[in-house]
Amino acid sequence: MDYKLLHIFRNTPFGRETFLQSLYFCKRIKATPVVYIPENDKFLFYFSSDVIQVDLDHSYLTDPDTAEEHARDLLADEGLKSIFYRPKNFTASTLPDISPNFDFFCCPRSISDLSSKIGLGYLGPKVRRIIKHATFPVFITSPVFKPWESIAVFFGGSENAVNALKLGVKISLASGVPLEIYTYMEKGDQEYYKKIAENEAFWELADQQIRDWHFYEQGSFDSMLYSVPHNGLIVLGAYGHGVVKEVLFGSKLEHIQSTLANNLLVSGPKNKISLR
Amino acid sequence: MAFVKTSYIFLYNRLFRHDDRLLMIAAGVVTGICSGLAAVALRLSLEWIIECLHPVRHYTWAIVLPGIGAVLSSLYLNKIVKEAPGHGVPEVIYAVSRYGGLLRFRSSFSRLISSFLTIGSGGSAGPEAPVVMSGSAIGSNIAKVLGLNDRQRVTLVGCGTSGAIAAIFNAPIAGLIFAAEVILGEWKFVNIIPIAIAAVAGAEVSQAIIPEQVLFNHEPFRLGIIDSSACLGLALGTALVSVLFTKIMRQSGRFAKGTKVPVWCRAAIGGSVVGLISMKFPVVLGEGYSYIQSMISGTFSMGLILTGIAVIAKVVATSATLGWGGSGGIFAPCLLIGSLTGTMFHQLIVSLFPETGFAGSGAYALLGMTGLISGVMQAPLTGIFLIVEITGGYETILPLILVSSLSSTITHYIEPASFYFKELIDRGQFLRPGTDARILADLNLGELLETKVHTAPENMLFRDFIELIKISEQNYFPILEEDTNRFRGIIKISAIRRYVLDPGMYDMVFINQIMDTRILAASMTDDLQEVLNLMDADAMDTIPVVEEDRFIGMISKTKILDLYRRELMMQTSPH
Repeated sequence: MDYKLLHIFRNTPFGRETFLQSLYFCKRIKATPVVYIPENDKFLFYFSSDVIQVDLDHSYLTDPDTAEEHARDLLADEGLKSIFYRPKNFTASTLPDISPNFDFFCCPRSISDLSSKIGLGYLGPKVRRIIKHATFPVFITSPVFKPWESIAVFFGGSENAVNALKLGVKISLASGVPLEIYTYMEKGDQEYYKKIAENEAFWELADQQIRDWHFYEQGSFDSMLYSVPHNGLIVLGAYGHGVVKEVLFGSKLEHIQSTLANNLLVSGPKNKISLR
Repeated sequence: MAFVKTSYIFLYNRLFRHDDRLLMIAAGVVTGICSGLAAVALRLSLEWIIECLHPVRHYTWAIVLPGIGAVLSSLYLNKIVKEAPGHGVPEVIYAVSRYGGLLRFRSSFSRLISSFLTIGSGGSAGPEAPVVMSGSAIGSNIAKVLGLNDRQRVTLVGCGTSGAIAAIFNAPIAGLIFAAEVILGEWKFVNIIPIAIAAVAGAEVSQAIIPEQVLFNHEPFRLGIIDSSACLGLALGTALVSVLFTKIMRQSGRFAKGTKVPVWCRAAIGGSVVGLISMKFPVVLGEGYSYIQSMISGTFSMGLILTGIAVIAKVVATSATLGWGGSGGIFAPCLLIGSLTGTMFHQLIVSLFPETGFAGSGAYALLGMTGLISGVMQAPLTGIFLIVEITGGYETILPLILVSSLSSTITHYIEPASFYFKELIDRGQFLRPGTDARILADLNLGELLETKVHTAPENMLFRDFIELIKISEQNYFPILEEDTNRFRGIIKISAIRRYVLDPGMYDMVFINQIMDTRILAASMTDDLQEVLNLMDADAMDTIPVVEEDRFIGMISKTKILDLYRRELMMQTSPH
């Protein structure tokens, strides 16, 4: 596998926790971390139909002289080789373009607000927008380094959920960690959900990776969340609904991330997973 | 919401999938109206603030106003909307040539507010570049909402530009020409119609809200053969001033960037310089349209030397405003500097040849404006039609063409890159449709990569390698480390011919003994131009792509040529 994960390095203790998560993720799925040490407090992601300006908070520019050294030390500790990303194109002299041609992108729950705000219950607007437009899954880390030992896919039967299942299979294949699927039965019985998954071309491969499929029909959605292992990597789809539905009923991702401290791997509506 | 989306997709597929001209015209109208409204809003708000500040302008303390405005503008851009400083036109050209016209939504209003603060307080800049940025961003975001493709989005960016220029100057033809000549860099049938319609929409909005028809009024000019001859000298003069203006602007910006003071502090310095200059030369404040009007009317009172100093003062003030962090465009300063240059030239020739019957100084102010616009932007058509439209001076069209063409040609001779393009050319990102650089930039390395390649382990016996050659059509064989699959080198068939022709060597040689390990390899992050440079440096027509010592694939010149031709045909097709 030659997966690449883009990490925006923050030279602070909090940034170190996030970076350790990225390194652990790369190690598990045998990916190469691509480290970008920002020199400006903003950059642009040009996707196929949108451009997103990511405004970093000032902690990303802390002590730039030691940033690369710190990153290299952490990489050496984990025995990983890295590529340091140097932007080649600039929309304006202080506005670099960052290529979106990566397999994964790591970011904390918020990247444009002060660290004091970062924690459960707050997903930054830029992170949301990146998820909505990204052509890669976004790895949203827990606030402190938390190795994951299992993979939990949240499967609700939607097109986005199928994509998330495929992503879970991809991570499971790359890491060798079996899959656990969690379904809160809102739309039908077990057969309904199984049939959706079985109709997918990758089902045969998925079936080999799935260790358990947990169905919940009683109790609240939160009670299902409680049964997810605390050291599991949660894989889920997000923002598959329209704006109106999202405003009226809220987003599942927002609810999950505000309830669970686990690492999340989120597949947005523009992200099409391939099992290469 | 889902119903609206589904209906739109249904209608799009039924009506516009094969011929999108009606859709583009409709979208062009909407874009033209929106960008026209943005331009009119800026124009009216500037008129209001200038009127509000007029009673205090005569106080000495008023010299701090441009500094305060520049600081507020800079803080707004940097801290609130987090936009890069500058006038923004290179950003639009860059987005058009590199990313199919993708522009951020915030750009549709950010520069309007920042330039309002800069120009309203007296900073030496114009509102045209901000409205171009705003209109372009509006067009880009309308395209995003409608789910249009890159080509259609670029057209709407052009529509936004033309609508904005048409509205701010009440000059639809200039808007159309500026969009095609400067922003898009191409004249295509499919682009021109929606852009023209958008220009009309923008101008109509402007006329509906601001009733006066012509920006600068004047009596008809009568220019004779003598004046046409004098145009040669004026063209040379405006070309020299254009080069001076461009160079001072760029040097000023570079110097400001090199200083170690915060951005807002830089803006304060720039604004203060303008304030200080304005004590002696109030002509440098703001857009300076009232001074242009007085020059065109022939009522400008400065003498030859003072007018010359005013030209320098305006150049310095504009450089201090825009180079040091203020926000605004160079159209209006070009118009003022041009009219000052034209007036100065008229004063000079009249004093040298007092008996000769030259036309009035207003005509020369007009010609000076077109000379400077054409010289600084190296966009002769924009220069001609803008001046014709904003002055209603069709009787001067022949001398205008003469000055405009000569000025842009002379300027190009001295300084090949225009003010708008220079920054992009320096960064190697000036990519016009149909040019070599643009085609190479548009080709994706992934598309060119040949991954189904026969590789060989480094300790393979040469006899086994001969068998591999027999079943392969490759001329280059990547050699990998056996256990780790790390890239070790290349075997080029032409380089091992003597071993192939000597069967005695078959069992004596391992391929790691004859492979070439000094080969240059490309990386997936390289641009195609860099890959071609590597090929040229190594005289190879096929090159390996390696990442972190891992062999990814091969790229050949043959494949590049195939895709190059395809891309060239696509970019230069009339539709």
